[in-house]
Amino acid sequence: MVEKKVIPSEYIPDVSRKTVTIAGKDYLVVNDAMFTFYRRSMGELSQFFLALRDEKKVLGCKCTKCGILRVPPFMTRCPDCNFALTELVEVEQVGVMNSTPPITYFATSMFQHMAPFGRGRVILRGADTALSIIVYTTTGILVPGLVTKGTEVKIVFRDNRVGEIIDIFCVPTSELAKEQIARKGLQESEIDWTAAVEPGLPVADENDVATYKDALNAMQDIVVQMNETERARKDTAGWKRSIQVKTTGGQFAIEIDDGNIRIEEKVLEAPDFVMVCKDPKVLLEGLAYKGSLTDAVIMKRLWISENMEFTTIFKLDRTARSLARASKI
Amino acid sequence: MARKVGIVGAGVTPFRGQWIEKTYYELAQMAAMTAMQDAGLEPSDVDAAFYGIYNDIFERTCIPEHPLQGIIGLQDKFGIRISNGGATGAYTMSAAHAYVAAERFNTVLVLGVEKATDCFDFQSMSATPEVIKTIGWSGDSFFEQKIGWSASDSYAEVVLAYMDEHPGDLKPEVTAQISSLLSQQVRTNPYAQRQFDQVTPEEVMNSRLVVYPFKELEICVYTEGAAALIFAEEETAKAISRNTGQPVVWITGVGEANEHSFAGKNQKVMSRIMSDYLGAHRAYEMAGIEDPIKAIDIVELHDAFVHQLEISMAEFGFVPLGQADALVEEGIMTPGGRLLVNPCGGLIYCGHAVGASNIMSAWSARSELIKRKLRAALVHGTGSTVAQYAACLILEHE
Repeated sequence: MVEKKVIPSEYIPDVSRKTVTIAGKDYLVVNDAMFTFYRRSMGELSQFFLALRDEKKVLGCKCTKCGILRVPPFMTRCPDCNFALTELVEVEQVGVMNSTPPITYFATSMFQHMAPFGRGRVILRGADTALSIIVYTTTGILVPGLVTKGTEVKIVFRDNRVGEIIDIFCVPTSELAKEQIARKGLQESEIDWTAAVEPGLPVADENDVATYKDALNAMQDIVVQMNETERARKDTAGWKRSIQVKTTGGQFAIEIDDGNIRIEEKVLEAPDFVMVCKDPKVLLEGLAYKGSLTDAVIMKRLWISENMEFTTIFKLDRTARSLARASKI
Repeated sequence: MARKVGIVGAGVTPFRGQWIEKTYYELAQMAAMTAMQDAGLEPSDVDAAFYGIYNDIFERTCIPEHPLQGIIGLQDKFGIRISNGGATGAYTMSAAHAYVAAERFNTVLVLGVEKATDCFDFQSMSATPEVIKTIGWSGDSFFEQKIGWSASDSYAEVVLAYMDEHPGDLKPEVTAQISSLLSQQVRTNPYAQRQFDQVTPEEVMNSRLVVYPFKELEICVYTEGAAALIFAEEETAKAISRNTGQPVVWITGVGEANEHSFAGKNQKVMSRIMSDYLGAHRAYEMAGIEDPIKAIDIVELHDAFVHQLEISMAEFGFVPLGQADALVEEGIMTPGGRLLVNPCGGLIYCGHAVGASNIMSAWSARSELIKRKLRAALVHGTGSTVAQYAACLILEHE
């Protein structure tokens, strides 16, 4: 087993310093860090985290006087009852969202690999208060409207649990089988994550085919310019992806290979992921920097088969911006 | 009976996305010096310092105020640092007011300062992801930090819960108009980070989502800078005013509230910003204000997000909850409307140098009250997870 570091090495910059000149004056700029390591006890919260890890149970604390059941059990006495003692009790693993969860697209440096993700609060059956939790969907990208206030969700446990809040997340029960909803301690590997449903496309008429051909030609012209622009090439440097793109009027492939982008009409045998957009102009406008592909995915104008591939969408958006900015200069 | 307290001096540094040329020592000294000079005072005339500094990690040191005591010339005197999340500046003013009102001191300095973009993400080779990570350390460390808590997503929780209750309010066209309006107002603020960044409502509408439902042009920006005020008790304030020729702007009301940080029964009601409601209404009560829409002329509020600006205005009592779009649709805050809201451009356009932001807002409110010969202003700060903290002050110009 590979030993994991508390701070992954890719986050740690090299020792370095540079001189920046502003209005004829030099300023010294230094790579630096504040770092503190911890060996921290979870104290009275230990039972909650150990129950997640070892028993796949969610615990709350119930006031022995007023009976309020708080999840998570973040206090041992009830401040509403003049600090009457609480006791740990198990709660059910199905509940409803307390309010519509936000979705983070532009994340902090530690969570960029996770974006987009929803973080909401679930009131589990039997509980009176809300537990902060990551919200996933099995259907691809989490888009606004999919999970809202009152949506019923199921707690799912990670296969590899460490005794932290990241051991659990939730998915809408509407995406699970009855038996899965009923099972206590449902694990991520017991869910079919590949069941993302590719949207169907209407039968193409002549106009659709003509629109497709025009858009394809225009996109091919744009990627030629991208490949010739150093600033745009940097955005996909070191990145390799093959993407099957399906539109009403026809399908084609986008192949990204270390700064080079190729668009051609063909069907890939094993693409890294699939994009579906009824109207190819959505993609064209994104590449031409007249709209954002990120927003096209969010607003359901562009569908992608793998959540993780949002990174590729960001890179294509950035490449489009770089080309547009380079063209202005 | 508490003593009357007034603002007799103010100063800000330019607010910038990054100050490579200056450390927070220099920024703090610039603002303190400007405020003292504005009041015609020297360090020896000032009894105490109240520092508003939000985040130790931004300053890259714990107890970041300690070197400032000597740098601003107040060695051997009282100094206290306030750190209350986004509401740091407003809470710092609240503390300074209390000490002067309680006869501990006659003349004090309120000094807010913040760095931010020294934080740098070496993976994306940009500052912002590391800045928001740094703020991310402010979330609950047992249950929320590790699942991606951020300031934006916690405020988005409140906004979305409000929208669950009031689905017709906070329309995208209205939030876009407000952002555009603020971008026009910032033109007259030469200290603003985005003085010449005017945007149309269409540009706001088309800007990309950062955290749903917030778009890029509806969010405050990270800023480095400092702001300072001089508070004095009544007789001292009047003497300073006679000397400088500038009227005293009195602090007639102060109110604060910190909500529960967890949601659910007996805890945070996610669709409300009760901290804003309680903070504002406690300040009104102290100032003897019964009808804020009649009494208040200027609002300098902490607009971390345009949607939150609208909800805060409803919590302050200027529009009913669920009808916050009336701010624009009924012209309440549009040019010529009843209220002047964030004439400085707010934190979205002037900038958000966290510990200094609310102090900058008070600097703007004081100057606008005097310049426009208006009577009363509400100054506001919000902060912590799910808009948990608020502090409000009523400023009055006789």
